[in-house]
Amino acid sequence: MIAPTPDSSPVLQLEHVSRRRGGRPAVRELDLSLAGGQVLGLLGVNGAGKSTTLSMIAGALRPDGGTIRLDSRDFAEYPELARQRLGWLPERAPLWPELTSSEHLDAHGRLRGLRGTALRQARERIIERLELQPLLRRLAGALSQGQRQRLGLACALLHEPALLVLDEPGNALDPVQTATLRTLIREQAAAGTAVILSTHLLAEVIAVCSRVAILHEGVLHHDGPVAADDHATLERRFFDIAMAGGAQAA
Amino acid sequence: MSTFAVMRLELRRLFVRPLGWVLGALTLAELAWRFILLLGNFLAMQVRLAALPSAPGFTDMAGVPLLSSLLTGGFIPFGFTELALIVVPLLAMSTLAGERGNGTLPLLFGTGQSATAIVLGKYLALMAWLLLWLALTLAMPLSLAHATHIDWGKLAAATLGMVLLLAALAAIGVACSAFASHPAIAATAGILLVLALCSIQLGAQSAGVNNGLINWLALPTHLEPLLRGLVSTADIVWFVLLTALALALAVRRVAAEKERG
Repeated sequence: MIAPTPDSSPVLQLEHVSRRRGGRPAVRELDLSLAGGQVLGLLGVNGAGKSTTLSMIAGALRPDGGTIRLDSRDFAEYPELARQRLGWLPERAPLWPELTSSEHLDAHGRLRGLRGTALRQARERIIERLELQPLLRRLAGALSQGQRQRLGLACALLHEPALLVLDEPGNALDPVQTATLRTLIREQAAAGTAVILSTHLLAEVIAVCSRVAILHEGVLHHDGPVAADDHATLERRFFDIAMAGGAQAA
Repeated sequence: MSTFAVMRLELRRLFVRPLGWVLGALTLAELAWRFILLLGNFLAMQVRLAALPSAPGFTDMAGVPLLSSLLTGGFIPFGFTELALIVVPLLAMSTLAGERGNGTLPLLFGTGQSATAIVLGKYLALMAWLLLWLALTLAMPLSLAHATHIDWGKLAAATLGMVLLLAALAAIGVACSAFASHPAIAATAGILLVLALCSIQLGAQSAGVNNGLINWLALPTHLEPLLRGLVSTADIVWFVLLTALALALAVRRVAAEKERG
């Protein structure tokens, strides 16, 4: 069991992280750090490198260069950190269609190292919190996109991770589900969890994030507190970066 | 522990999908029919066999032939071995190619599972299903143990041969699934590969060559002695090497996928 680091040090640190995909650089020399309780919104147009960055943070993709540290430990040297300290909801919440929601929770718990009473308690807690009781016996393949997102989120939160990675979590959610998701993210942050979420919705960033990082063509162009930006300022900044990048590419 | 978590998940998926149940039910029905025919043939020949000094018994005429047509020739098609050549690639096809299609393979990486744990977990789950299938098949001749004389040594050697065969076929199936983009491609590649392994020596044999590398490579060369009751370390090593090679290739491919994305 890897002990967590003291609260003062950042939960997540990215140092000069780079990754090529499909023969072109998807992420270039990315530096980021995130402390417990912070919610970082990773903003960018489609193809900006958001999902690649999150996949690397989640341990699903290895960086070509640079270092990712979780709890001040190099992810490459301690791959088991992902199991214990990280929860990840990939884009479109991939699930096993032939398994029920209940079986998903059990499988994710075991994959995260939970057993016996610990698994049972974690299940009960997350079922109550995300109101999953009506979905428990339903096959994942029969769930709506919003329900899939909810189940995926439950699987990501089951083991109480120190870092929660959410890839476009607001996709396909209705307004009520969106509001519930935002409340949940705020609660997680209040409990000390570091949250990083990718989105291309400025409103989502304004609503839940304490920090925003704007990524364009794999390069970090802006990293600062959201409080300093209102919607109009953030929108202008975002479009300036996206258009400038587009003009450069042209 | 990660391997067992992956194994448990895969086993659950195997048991809730209809494919496993359909394949299991159909093949066991066919094997039961084959066993009844073999038993009928054995009973019909009792009078003639009684006159022979070292006549073949129940194990030679019904027990082991249930497991393979290699010894019985064209008497009745589709023994356990012949069915396994089709069933195992079909069951293995979704192990990794299916995960890739669902988008759940990165999710497994994201839970901190290594490529080795993922491949071994899936392989062990598949082996658990296949060993249950073999046990149900063996229950047919064993159910007559109280009424006839079973050559336990010969049956044990043949059973060992089946276990080694299933281990090798499952490893090949998982490797094909690791390399294929779609389960159907994995199944086709797996079936063709095992059929090639079974027939690679036929040309050489028809030309009168009964030893050499090509015969050593062929699966029947190593399975047939076990079905005849001859347990040789060289044959066991051949199966173990084939299994290890296929699993190593699968692990490499899955690890490369994590690297490549």
